[in-house]
Amino acid sequence: MRILIADDHPIVRHGLKQMLAADPSATIVGEATNGDEALAMARKLEWDMAIFDFTMPGRSGLDLLGDMKKEFPGRPVLILSMHSEDVHGSRVLRGGAAGYITKDSAPQELATAVRKVANGGKYVSASLAEILASECSSDPQKALHEKLSDREYRVMWLLATGKQISEIAKEMGLSPSTVSTYRTRILRKLGLTSNAALVHYAVRHQLVG
Amino acid sequence: MNDVANIEELEPTEPRAEEAPEKAKILLVDDEPKSLFALQELLSMLGQNLMVAQSGEEALRLALKNDFAVILLDVRMPGIDGFETARLIRARERSKSTPIIFLTAAADEMTSMFRGYEVGAVDYLMKPVVPEVLKSKVAVFVELFRKSERLRESEDKLRRLAAHLISVREEERAHIAREIHDELGQVLTGLKMEVTWLAKRLKDKVLIEKTDSMCGLIDSTVQTVRKIATGLRPEMLDDMGLIAAVAWQAKEFQKRTGIRCRAKLPAEVKFDIDISTTMFRIFQEILTNVARHSRATRVDIELTLGAEQIGLEVTDNGVGIQDNELHARKSLGLLGMQERALLFGGDVRINGSPGHGTRVSVTIPLRKPK
Repeated sequence: MRILIADDHPIVRHGLKQMLAADPSATIVGEATNGDEALAMARKLEWDMAIFDFTMPGRSGLDLLGDMKKEFPGRPVLILSMHSEDVHGSRVLRGGAAGYITKDSAPQELATAVRKVANGGKYVSASLAEILASECSSDPQKALHEKLSDREYRVMWLLATGKQISEIAKEMGLSPSTVSTYRTRILRKLGLTSNAALVHYAVRHQLVG
Repeated sequence: MNDVANIEELEPTEPRAEEAPEKAKILLVDDEPKSLFALQELLSMLGQNLMVAQSGEEALRLALKNDFAVILLDVRMPGIDGFETARLIRARERSKSTPIIFLTAAADEMTSMFRGYEVGAVDYLMKPVVPEVLKSKVAVFVELFRKSERLRESEDKLRRLAAHLISVREEERAHIAREIHDELGQVLTGLKMEVTWLAKRLKDKVLIEKTDSMCGLIDSTVQTVRKIATGLRPEMLDDMGLIAAVAWQAKEFQKRTGIRCRAKLPAEVKFDIDISTTMFRIFQEILTNVARHSRATRVDIELTLGAEQIGLEVTDNGVGIQDNELHARKSLGLLGMQERALLFGGDVRINGSPGHGTRVSVTIPLRKPK
């Protein structure tokens, strides 16, 4: 499998080569240091898959990906990025990438991604899969916390971040007993029984950060 | 020494206003050449630029092209009379606050005096005029004109300075964010690859534990680098454009404050990065205000993209901003939003009603002014 890599940082290219060296079927045929060079190499060289950095000098990101998909529609491009998946992941996949992998992923993950993409598949990490799933769930109303009123939602959030009833009352300009009533209602709506369970729920659904 | 040089570089072509003040323009309007001549003679010693018109029409034409310190206007003229001329002059944007002194020959025109004041006269002089009175009155208006000119100039300078500071700060933030994110981030990535390479070759359990913890440290450092860089300038804005960045910021805001955000956004497209940045920074400022002052539990965000302009409306259900808060001198954040929008010919409107939340509407034309 002939691989074209592009990254403006020598240290990352070095690491990539080192990791790909472990796979005897992989040969690196070209090493570009910026987007324009990457495109020029893609036109000149024989290659089967490309691994590109998302942010490079010159043409890069979604623009470069678009060019690549237009000129070489059949060949997979794996995007390697410093940016976290929730920010760029789904857009890059929609832009035609065969996979999106962050640079802080474990090297094994990169190896898996390369193998999968080389075989014509798409590579999506577990965390990106979760983001995609939540993005395309057709009815967001189904999440239990969506059933909370705006005020209940905020009380829930304040409880989840460890605030006491009295603090919440002060912050929201309500009486402590009203806040307690809200708490009871929130727990019922979310099907929970304790503050600890509520914290867990909030973390699992990424409602706090 | 260097500092002085830098300051001067900031405004290289600015001439010194005080050294040679331009002459103030004064318009004299009278249908009788004799009176015109007399007025000119009297006022010539003020050393200002005197312009003359013999009819209302001519006066209007001149007022359209010049900014006068004061206009001396004869009431009785054939054609458009003095009152009508004054009304038309004051109706125009450029000359809407130009002071007008009426000249009238007859002492029996008390009623017309009121008419004169109604159409914007600031003073009245009876003919024949007393030279000293005329001169000192005109001199007062010339002085006033100079002062307001100077005020306008310094306002303009302040505004340009503010604009300069905003764009410098934005550039600097973008630069630092890029450096941190790219350079530091990439080195960490490389470092992690090296450590992993090393870990694979180790047999000793204790050493493997060490490399594992090194990897963990590198990972959390990468997270920190990302957080710092995004705080300075969200990469989203440059990579994906304003609409994606607003969606992201709204989500982050909800996560950070527990205030529910609902965003209505158009399909994602990228457009002018400076306008995008301006809109995004204003949006961030609005959210900061919501979190700080509103006690809201919900924020509705609507971004609309027209052919001519881009609009943002942010409504919260909090306590509602009061008029006195809106005009308080301290509200520099609000002033900052206005200034940012103004740079691109846009504007920011803020409405609050007690108990019914606050609504901020921002519009920015897509085509840059000038």
